[in-house]
Amino acid sequence: MESIVFGIGITALAGALATVAGAAENTESDIGSQGDPNSQVQLAPQMGYIHRIFNKAVAGEPPAYGLWIALGAGIAWAFMAMQINPILAIVLGSGIAVFVQGVYATTAYLGRTASLAKFGQPVYVDILKSMTTVTMAHAFVAIFATVTLCHLINAALGHPFPLPLLGIVWGIALGAAGSATGNPFYGKERQYQNQKFGAGVPIAASGNIVRYAEAGERNSLDNGWFSAKLGGPASGVCFGLIVFLELWRTVLFEEIGAGWGAIIIGIIIILVFTVIDRYIEVWARKNYGPYTKPAEEASS
Amino acid sequence: MSAIGAKPAAGAAVDTTAMVVGIIILLLVIGATYYLFGSGLAFMALIGIIIGGVLIGFGVHFVPVGGAPAAMGQAPGIATGVAMLAAGAGLAGLFGGAWAAEMGVVVATITGAIGGGLMMAITCMFVNFIYVFGMGIPSASGKVAKDPITGDTQAEFKSQGTEGHGLPFVSYVGGVIGGLFGGAGGTLIYLMLLDLYEAELPAMMNALPAQIVPIAVTLAGMFAIGMFLVNAVLAAYNITGTIEGPHDPKFKRFPRAVVASAVASAICGIVAIMIVAL
Repeated sequence: MESIVFGIGITALAGALATVAGAAENTESDIGSQGDPNSQVQLAPQMGYIHRIFNKAVAGEPPAYGLWIALGAGIAWAFMAMQINPILAIVLGSGIAVFVQGVYATTAYLGRTASLAKFGQPVYVDILKSMTTVTMAHAFVAIFATVTLCHLINAALGHPFPLPLLGIVWGIALGAAGSATGNPFYGKERQYQNQKFGAGVPIAASGNIVRYAEAGERNSLDNGWFSAKLGGPASGVCFGLIVFLELWRTVLFEEIGAGWGAIIIGIIIILVFTVIDRYIEVWARKNYGPYTKPAEEASS
Repeated sequence: MSAIGAKPAAGAAVDTTAMVVGIIILLLVIGATYYLFGSGLAFMALIGIIIGGVLIGFGVHFVPVGGAPAAMGQAPGIATGVAMLAAGAGLAGLFGGAWAAEMGVVVATITGAIGGGLMMAITCMFVNFIYVFGMGIPSASGKVAKDPITGDTQAEFKSQGTEGHGLPFVSYVGGVIGGLFGGAGGTLIYLMLLDLYEAELPAMMNALPAQIVPIAVTLAGMFAIGMFLVNAVLAAYNITGTIEGPHDPKFKRFPRAVVASAVASAICGIVAIMIVAL
């Protein structure tokens, strides 16, 4: 009984850490403009729209976070093997991983922006100086929280994978969940704030991203402020639920029916989310209504 | 937006010569394994790895991925890359499957499948959540007139100048199925290698079985993640960019990915087997 209570406590803590990690990851990637919406940041100068948005999408979020978290976890693991206190080891590992992220962000911004020189896009040194540290701070939160949850899974819940391997698994999952949930909010709602609400961006408007703020030119800190209102928290809850429910079904139900208990609970959870998804889809169709009259012909 | 407008350079046609060459390479690798190691654990591991790789390569085709256009609500799907999303789901499944390894191959593989499906179910639900409540956009497919599962008409819910947006129900179901296949495939590769390494490493390293468990787990985990990425990326090349799910015409290309995944998994697999069995 005690071990189950302990397991549930660790599961809840890991879920909470994952929520913080997801929110920080999405905000970091939006400030650095690393997800798929970056295609528009790269495209804008080519269409004649010079901007002051950060631009570091050399790799997608999942492989980038796979690298940084595996790095943080690996270094923390090495420090722990040297009998250093786990908390200190995780902080040191995350700190070193964040320096790699900072180098990555700097070189990516310089490289990507310099490649746009022929379209007249300048490299803003003040942007580099003010944005890089903010992405690094958010990345530290994401890396620290994820490495800590990996350590809990390994040390407290007894998962067989060593810490660096858990780091790469959950790093890639973190990037995948964060980019899937947060990217549309940043890409459509923020970069194309001048387009109609409640409709996708027409393909003809590609590249015409919003470049001016309430005062002066918009920069990526403004974008971080905006996406922290919904895209970040939603990504956090998404990743938090993934980690929490995956651990919860294993810790509580794996012993029942020689492993089949966790499988059945997993199927039930999938069905519950399927019903919620269908409800959201139908709710939107009923409340927002169609854009045009129903067409007879199939679209191609 | 060439990702939406451009016709894919490699069409749906199956290149018979390439398929035959692929199958010959596959048979050669299987034959070489049988010749070198007999019909024991190593041979069974190779067969398991090939089945796992095929499950991953096939499963990736179900995952609705919209890439950059989806991030602007210009195309349906999840706004990230094919290989990376599939990897995220499959590795989450591998995590669960590895945890249940001691429960036996069947239970562990199904646990891994459910782990991948769970990750995709939550992620796909949140994609629709953001589209509907964050952006006020309903789901609409650009590839079919009616959702094959629910029968909902799609065309009138596409906003002007886009290919559709969000995840229609069929894409959601496709995402979950993709996660199930990915999680099962990754876990199967891991379990096969783990069994082999746990059997071979003690004699090879002159150590007790209990001592080599961490090494066996780490090696098998690393190879499983690596082979997962190989198969996911291969399938992503077959898809070329974006796919809406099982109802997308691009889905019909999966036989090519199945053969390619089988060949790639066989070659990766024989390398992973040779490090202990030779």
